Amino acid sequence: MGRADDRQRILLISSAIFIVLVITLTLSLKRSTGFQWILSGLTVGSIYALIAMGFSVIYSSTRVINFAQGEFSMLGGMLMYSISVKGGVPPWIGFILSVLIVTLVGAGLERVAIHPLKEQSVIAVIIVTIGLAIFLRALAKWIWGTDPVKIASFSGDKPLRFLGASIVPQSFWVFGFTVIAVVLVFIFFNRTLVGKGIRAAAMNKDAASLVGVSSSTSSLLAWTIAAALGASAGIVIAPINFAAYNVGIMLGLKGFTAAVLGGLGSFPGAVAGGLVLGVLEMITAGVVPSGYKDAVAFVILILVLLIRPQGLLGKSEDVKV
Amino acid sequence: MERKVEKLALGEKRDYRNLLIVAVFILLVPLWARPIPGDVLHLDIVNIMVLAGVYACAVIGLNLLVGYAGQISLGHAAFFGVGAYTTAILTCHFSWFPTWLGVLAGAALAGVIGWLVGVPVLRLKGNYLAMATLGLGEIAFILFSQLKGLTGGTVGIPEGIKVKVGEIPALSVFGFKFDTDIKFFFLVWAIVMMLMLLNINVIRSRVGRGLRALHSSEVAAEAMGVNTARYKTQVFVLSAVLAGLGGALFAHFEGYISPESFTFSLSILFITMVVVGGMGNLWGGIVGVIVLTFLPQVIQAMPQWIPGLPSNLKNFSNYTLVLYGILLVVFMMFMPSGIAAGLSHGVDFGEKQFKHMRDRVRAKKYEGH
Repeated sequence: MGRADDRQRILLISSAIFIVLVITLTLSLKRSTGFQWILSGLTVGSIYALIAMGFSVIYSSTRVINFAQGEFSMLGGMLMYSISVKGGVPPWIGFILSVLIVTLVGAGLERVAIHPLKEQSVIAVIIVTIGLAIFLRALAKWIWGTDPVKIASFSGDKPLRFLGASIVPQSFWVFGFTVIAVVLVFIFFNRTLVGKGIRAAAMNKDAASLVGVSSSTSSLLAWTIAAALGASAGIVIAPINFAAYNVGIMLGLKGFTAAVLGGLGSFPGAVAGGLVLGVLEMITAGVVPSGYKDAVAFVILILVLLIRPQGLLGKSEDVKV
Repeated sequence: MERKVEKLALGEKRDYRNLLIVAVFILLVPLWARPIPGDVLHLDIVNIMVLAGVYACAVIGLNLLVGYAGQISLGHAAFFGVGAYTTAILTCHFSWFPTWLGVLAGAALAGVIGWLVGVPVLRLKGNYLAMATLGLGEIAFILFSQLKGLTGGTVGIPEGIKVKVGEIPALSVFGFKFDTDIKFFFLVWAIVMMLMLLNINVIRSRVGRGLRALHSSEVAAEAMGVNTARYKTQVFVLSAVLAGLGGALFAHFEGYISPESFTFSLSILFITMVVVGGMGNLWGGIVGVIVLTFLPQVIQAMPQWIPGLPSNLKNFSNYTLVLYGILLVVFMMFMPSGIAAGLSHGVDFGEKQFKHMRDRVRAKKYEGH
């Protein structure tokens, strides 16, 4: 085992060195432009991180990959548009209302469609989440139409200059929300009894239920948290990107990529994976033709999977015979 | 359960009989199927069946991979696309290039790529394999849209390429042109039936037994001397070839292709067809393909058959996908092992009832003597 651990440590360190090298190279060659890429990379990366955490919450409590995760973000953005832009409600109330509605939708879907499937195979549950994603996307297209909508930034659009790079104020909102969400999720899972219960149920359902943790409740809670995380990500990014009925697919795929990059089920991993993916994506978008931006993200993903299938920060799972 | 395992392992003469029945039934479709006219959407059954047949090529292969070998792929649209683009590029850029050879080249190239990709990727398992294949599918989609000189970019073939052709030429074999829906229908479904025959033989073979063994436990299979890595690669390549074949036929049938036809949604559609039809069920693939190809079309055409519906509800295109999503969920909730399994349970039940009744009638007769 010792040798395997050493190999993992070497891989982890070398990938960290690689990333630092990429960043310093970009900075030294492109200076302020490079810094610009990294800042915008961190912004989208934070969003990926939030969505990746949603994937991880559901995965670690139910072993299911929720293909509707990106749709929660889409719904968040679109609801924000209806409530705040169309309805004229102040943004912060709009934010809370939108997150609340999406959270209820997430919890409702878990009760109606996921909960009854308890004993089904993982692939059946995955297909159900795909069905839910199609349903939510189509519903949004029906309600809001196909045109992308613009949502005003929370505090103006005047870019700030920072070490030669310009940064839109919305980016700070994105960073702020990400930090708050990460801290809240961390406290919930490590400091509260309910959160610890969910983790226990994820490790061993039967043992957890023996000490009074209901796996049904933890699945419901996981979906609720994932929906809230997804919705807030969708809302804070909406002023930077446009919101539209179909943004959920790409956000979901990137969040998924970030989650696997960091190690499915690991929260620090989800955050690291999101940030790394965002930065590498923006740097490559600056270097190669922008059409290939997404491809590079997936190439990195496949390489990581082949070299270190459990992700950068994940623990390797032993095969049970 | 015991009986089921035995049935799977040996395969049965019944499979061949059923194949014959299904073949006759499907080949008779053009006799009764007439386009159903409608002011919103008219439903051309033969046309939809061709599309179903084209998808069936890919889904039969995917069913072997997912249903029998238990290896998931969320990127088979890539192989479908490789097949389509190979034949489209060859036959459009070089007008002398025989179309049937283009189709074969498409299937072959898909197979080669499947092998190159499969060898490293199939070391992964479960969710990670799903993720890697998904990534490959996305990369293929991006290449289709970005290699503009070859693929015509987002516009596609033939509009996007420099060579001026009206559309991708119709498929012709030894001078016989498959240029109408009916002709194509017979071609495609004949191919599908041959693939089904191949499918039955594969699952009855040593390879098929090996695949099922590695599905239930890879470690145990390996311990029993099954070369799991080789079998997995073989079935992955086979599924890639079949997807490429389907894609190539699709290109010649549609006459034009663009990256939009080979997105993540198509990969998902393929997997959904396998699962809704019935994973690891011989007929699952075909049932899933037919149900899921017709379902959106039927939902869309439905309101025009309901008399007295207000006109603002007539346009169903808005909520086709809403209903489709709900139906998908409902299918999985109530028929998790697939429609085909449900059907065959029904058939088994009916058969048992029939035998039971027959025996009772015989017994009565006997009593009468």
